[in-house]
Amino acid sequence: MSNYQDEVRRRRRNLLIVEGNHEKNKLFSLIFKCFPEINIDIEDVWIYGTNIYLLYEDIAKEYGSQWADEKVDIDLPFVISKKQHPQFPCYKEDFINIILVFDYERHDTNFSEQKIMDMQQCFHDAADMGKLYINYPMIESYLHLKALPDCDFYTRKIPVSLQPGKKYKAQVDSETAIGKLFEFPHRIDDLLNGRFGITDEKAREECCKAVLNISEEHELERELEEVLQGLSGDICKNTLKYQLKDWLLKMGYIHRGQSYWECIRDILGKIIFHNIRKANWLLNGEFEIEEDRYKKCYEQIDLMEILKMQNHFSRDENQGYIWVLNTCIFFVAEYNFALIN
Amino acid sequence: MLKKFTLKNFKNFKDEISIDFQNVAGFQFSSDCITDGVISKMLIYGRNATGKTNLGVALMDITMLMSSIKMLMPNGVFLNADSTEQTAVFSYTFLFGGRELIYKYSRMSNQELQNEQLTIDGIDIFKCDFAKRKYDFTNLQYIEAEIANTDRYLHSLEADEELEDANEARLPFLRWVINNVALKNDSVLIQMANYVQGMVRITVGSSLRGFPKIIYDSFHELLENPKRLKEFEEFLNAMGIACRLVLRKLPDGQRQLYFAHEKLIPFFENASSGTMALVTLYRRVISRLREASLVYLDEFDAFYHYEMAENLIRFFKKRYPKCQIIMTSHNTNLMTNRLMRPDCLFILSRMGTLTSLCDATPRELREGHNLEKMYISGEFEQYE
Repeated sequence: MSNYQDEVRRRRRNLLIVEGNHEKNKLFSLIFKCFPEINIDIEDVWIYGTNIYLLYEDIAKEYGSQWADEKVDIDLPFVISKKQHPQFPCYKEDFINIILVFDYERHDTNFSEQKIMDMQQCFHDAADMGKLYINYPMIESYLHLKALPDCDFYTRKIPVSLQPGKKYKAQVDSETAIGKLFEFPHRIDDLLNGRFGITDEKAREECCKAVLNISEEHELERELEEVLQGLSGDICKNTLKYQLKDWLLKMGYIHRGQSYWECIRDILGKIIFHNIRKANWLLNGEFEIEEDRYKKCYEQIDLMEILKMQNHFSRDENQGYIWVLNTCIFFVAEYNFALIN
Repeated sequence: MLKKFTLKNFKNFKDEISIDFQNVAGFQFSSDCITDGVISKMLIYGRNATGKTNLGVALMDITMLMSSIKMLMPNGVFLNADSTEQTAVFSYTFLFGGRELIYKYSRMSNQELQNEQLTIDGIDIFKCDFAKRKYDFTNLQYIEAEIANTDRYLHSLEADEELEDANEARLPFLRWVINNVALKNDSVLIQMANYVQGMVRITVGSSLRGFPKIIYDSFHELLENPKRLKEFEEFLNAMGIACRLVLRKLPDGQRQLYFAHEKLIPFFENASSGTMALVTLYRRVISRLREASLVYLDEFDAFYHYEMAENLIRFFKKRYPKCQIIMTSHNTNLMTNRLMRPDCLFILSRMGTLTSLCDATPRELREGHNLEKMYISGEFEQYE
């Protein structure tokens, strides 16, 4: 038997560079599930947790302190893999998407306007060197809609003095109109685990996935029975069925013949549109956009200009403020705007 | 112009495969790859042995059919080896002055024509089924050929069949009409015949080395015109080959081309592989009296420096804006929006599909995208 075949290079990988916060992983996991066209399985995503300033320094170690000025072609997978497991280096040519998601974090002791601007300038293409999405003030801003539609979103800002992040998270929790929907899968998981004692994580995951796939109101009970049949153990399936039925009906999407994923896909689209309008308002003073102009407005969004603006308004520690804006959600629009149209 | 070419059951292409020149997306850059709404500059990539050369051979098939010279494939392999179908099917859709002309035919394993059909603007002009001896010439008036004596054509077919060792392949009715009916110069059939005459295919190995003497002689004869020699020299210079050329007559009357240095250096014995590839291109395409209509350049830049390959594409765009040029390459440096565009860059897959980059990903491709990096990282993997 010949042994001519060498190891095949693994391609089509995705790199998600985040600060290690579960929320971020959850959001992208949801995006990939709701937009199957993007064709990314979260299992195939290499998630690397770091801080934007540590990453900046890692790049400087590899390419020199002047890397930003010299417009060096940065290979982030190489920089990261060299640090994490030097015996198995990775290269950007193995990755179809490199996404960097960081919070603005004005209060971080390492905060540097210049460094964050260098990063924004350099990383502008997810399919090439990578794309940096900065969320203002934090990732949770995607939930910071008080209604749908939220006509006041464009004026939403928070004082710089509102730190650390826990305070902002608490504010979003108390004000969000969509948080419950995003929390729904976790509620189901908690119900299965906590109240019904289903400790098998995989079984819970399967059950949860099947429940969230249900989209027919008139078939609801029958479909729930089918889903719960797969669960083993001494549990009161009837009680669980009626509990889940009650929750599903209260969520509302099933009345519209939608599955959970279809509903969240719609909502993610609306969140994206709100943030496009907000970015357009910050850059051009215009929040209301006709439907046929969304794409053009999106294409004109300059993330660098937004960063400069946020830097300017948040410079004063006492009086300064940060405009609430989520940019990582733009990944979907960037990939293909038709997905949210 | 050729709008679409479709092929089935030929060599490695078991299933139908098309080159659709009209499948143009709305990109606002590299618009010089598109002419009159049709792709005029196309670059095809693909792993080895996916059939890039075979596709070019198939595309040129019509040139053999329209020529009176019987040119069978040297190795005799014609039909797909895994198919049970008895014929290979070729279909060419042309567009001349707003009129659509579809010429479709099939050929058997011995490469003889089995049937042919011409459709113009949706009307079937004629149909010939040679195997069943069924012929339909009822709509010849649409091509102003109603006076054609089709009986004479049928008699000539019968006469050919009686000859056991015929030197000529079966005469297609299309060629017979073009040669035997006084068609107007602006007739779509004449336009089609001219187009087919202008189709050229150049493969990576078609350099002058090892070619018959007659080709050297005719090339030297061409260069006897000082203007031509200068033009050839300028072409080489423009492509990055800095040289001066001189043509000398030897005592025996033969001509010889030299690189002009302090001493003369014989050209063909000393030219680099890249230079020789340029010679073929000049001889077969650039020096033609009538401009080529379609050029299939197989592995066109196999011997070129990356800059020369870029220069050549720019040269084609500038000098031959209307000519439909299909290039195949493994040089991913050319997979860029600076030079091309995603609807003009294609991948030929192992499955026998030809897909443009913009149709090979759900991602919305933009001018700023690094297509080369995307290709290498597997963005279009499902279509490779």
